[in-house]
Amino acid sequence: MQNGFVLRVAGFSTAVFTIITTIIITMHKESYRVVATAKSGCSSSVPSLPPPCPKSPPEYPDLYGKRREMAKVQMLEREIGFLEEELKSVDSLQPASRCCKEVTEFVVANPDPLMPTNRKNRRSCRFWKWLCGIPCFNFSWICCCCYSGCSLRIHLPRCCDCNCNCDPCDLCNCCSCIRCPAPNWRCCSCRSCCPFPCSCSCCCPCSCSCPCSCSCPRSSCCRNISCCSDCCTCGFPSCPDCSCCRCSFPECSCCTWLCCCPRWTFSAPKCPKSPKCPEVRLCSNCTKTCCNPCCLFF
Amino acid sequence: MSVAELKARHVAATETVNSLRERLQQKRLLLLDTDDLIEVVAVAGYAKAHGKSSVSFGATDLVCCRTLQGHTGKVYSLDWTPEKNRIVSASQDGRLIVWNALTSQKTHAIKLPCAWVMTCAFSPTGQFVACGGLDSVCSIFNLNSPSDKDGNLPESKMLSGHKGYVSSCQYVPDEDTHLITSSGDHTCVLWDITTGLRTSVFGGEFQSGHTADVLSVSINGSNSRMFVSGSCDSTARLWDTRVASRAVRTFHGHEGDVNTVKFFPDGNRFGTGSDDGTCRLFDIRTGHQLQEYYQQHSDDEVRHVTSIAFSISGRLLFAGYSNGDCYVWDTLLAQVVLNLGSLQNSHESRISCLGLSADGSALCTGSYDTNLKIWAFGGHRKVI
Repeated sequence: MQNGFVLRVAGFSTAVFTIITTIIITMHKESYRVVATAKSGCSSSVPSLPPPCPKSPPEYPDLYGKRREMAKVQMLEREIGFLEEELKSVDSLQPASRCCKEVTEFVVANPDPLMPTNRKNRRSCRFWKWLCGIPCFNFSWICCCCYSGCSLRIHLPRCCDCNCNCDPCDLCNCCSCIRCPAPNWRCCSCRSCCPFPCSCSCCCPCSCSCPCSCSCPRSSCCRNISCCSDCCTCGFPSCPDCSCCRCSFPECSCCTWLCCCPRWTFSAPKCPKSPKCPEVRLCSNCTKTCCNPCCLFF
Repeated sequence: MSVAELKARHVAATETVNSLRERLQQKRLLLLDTDDLIEVVAVAGYAKAHGKSSVSFGATDLVCCRTLQGHTGKVYSLDWTPEKNRIVSASQDGRLIVWNALTSQKTHAIKLPCAWVMTCAFSPTGQFVACGGLDSVCSIFNLNSPSDKDGNLPESKMLSGHKGYVSSCQYVPDEDTHLITSSGDHTCVLWDITTGLRTSVFGGEFQSGHTADVLSVSINGSNSRMFVSGSCDSTARLWDTRVASRAVRTFHGHEGDVNTVKFFPDGNRFGTGSDDGTCRLFDIRTGHQLQEYYQQHSDDEVRHVTSIAFSISGRLLFAGYSNGDCYVWDTLLAQVVLNLGSLQNSHESRISCLGLSADGSALCTGSYDTNLKIWAFGGHRKVI
């Protein structure tokens, strides 16, 4: 009897399952029929179901953009607070005329070595300036005095005549000479010797502009064209006219300008790497915020 | 609150800010009680009214007495030592050169790890030099340290932290251990060189500060806690190093990038130079714009101001321009008294940087023509 009951339950479950499955299959057929009907344009008496479609992903809030916007608004509101404070304080500020008075008084009260002398002094100085205009090989001490400021109180300094066979001057600041290292070098100003020929005068500092006549690369090129006695110890030579030293920045060949200096003849330094730029802008629209080196260094 | 509501609030806040700035400007104009309220000529108006006569330079009064040759690329920056007459210069050739200004000799030629250098500075003792550029790092070199096996001077410190190029740097006066940098990341930073860390960051993304690249800094020589910065947002800002969260004051007026700022010798004013072609003088205590220095030209070309420096008394303002001019302005009367760019033996290209020696007796200019020149008051004949 019990077996019979179990059998009847199993049979009932199977029947229910069969019915449910049939319903599902029927629904699918119907949906396909609806689709087919829709495609064919035929109508059907069975109500149509919406076509299957995947679910859209959930809309996540743009937190980053919102936070950024919030930060901007907070900054602006803070700025509003600062401006309102400043508006309140403006009424108690001193007028501009008082600031101008302070500026004027400060300027007038402080001496300035770059300012021209006043008219009276300049007139008295003209004589000395004229005198300085003539070759001063024999009048170097006068030129020295002129160099020191054209004071009416003329000192006669114990000044040398700016050649290498003199003792350093005490008062004359343009004629303290040193012994030159080579016979064909001439002492032309304080503390420096320039190779001959050199554009200089006793009264003025020596410019040491030396023409370059050698061709590179030669290890002696550096010495011939540079005013430094040992250009390698000074870092590198001044050789703008040296034919091997053409730099086309920022190509790697820019490093070859160092060929004039013997130290780097055989081991040219590496060229600089390109920097990483947070933003790169086109050269045509470049402003100084552009970090593309081609644009920045126009 | 939704993003749309936030954007609406943003627009409203921007309008409020602009309106408040307009009101502030109007109130400030009322305080310009000297002549000519329409154009800013406060100092010139006052000086003329009090009988100040203009500066007059003779043909040989200011002469070029040294040309420092050695760089093979454009010179971008220079700085004098506080004493001993040495100059450090930075160039597109990727080197710093330290010069003896009196003898023109080069004492150091420092090859830089990054060639794109934009700024350099001498420490107060003259023992260190700092530089920075497109690598976003400020590098420190000890001039007394020995060279490495390749003959290069090694970096003694690298100050990393900026997220943009380092446009300008200056040591805090009398402190070899602190310096301030300005950067393309919109901030200025005060560094502790000993630790290599940032002591303070001025401005930035979530603080009140510049809203564009900062191009220049100048520290007050009379009060080293105060410094000014100039930026591409057309403003200059005054900062107190003890308060990094906001600028003490913002100075509006320029209509273009503020390329250069420099304190006036008295420490209560500062000058600016901009892409709009003007230099301006501002008062730090009141915020007043005291004077504008602008030369009208027959053509419409705007000459950008690249660099400025005041003479030691403040009477002269030296301004380098993008077209190669270097005007010497009488600061009191707002007149150009000399153009160094037109003198014989002047630079052949744009003057990119200039600086005055510590004793005020010489001006050094650096140029895209790769040279530096030293100018001093003459009274002596020119070099033959």
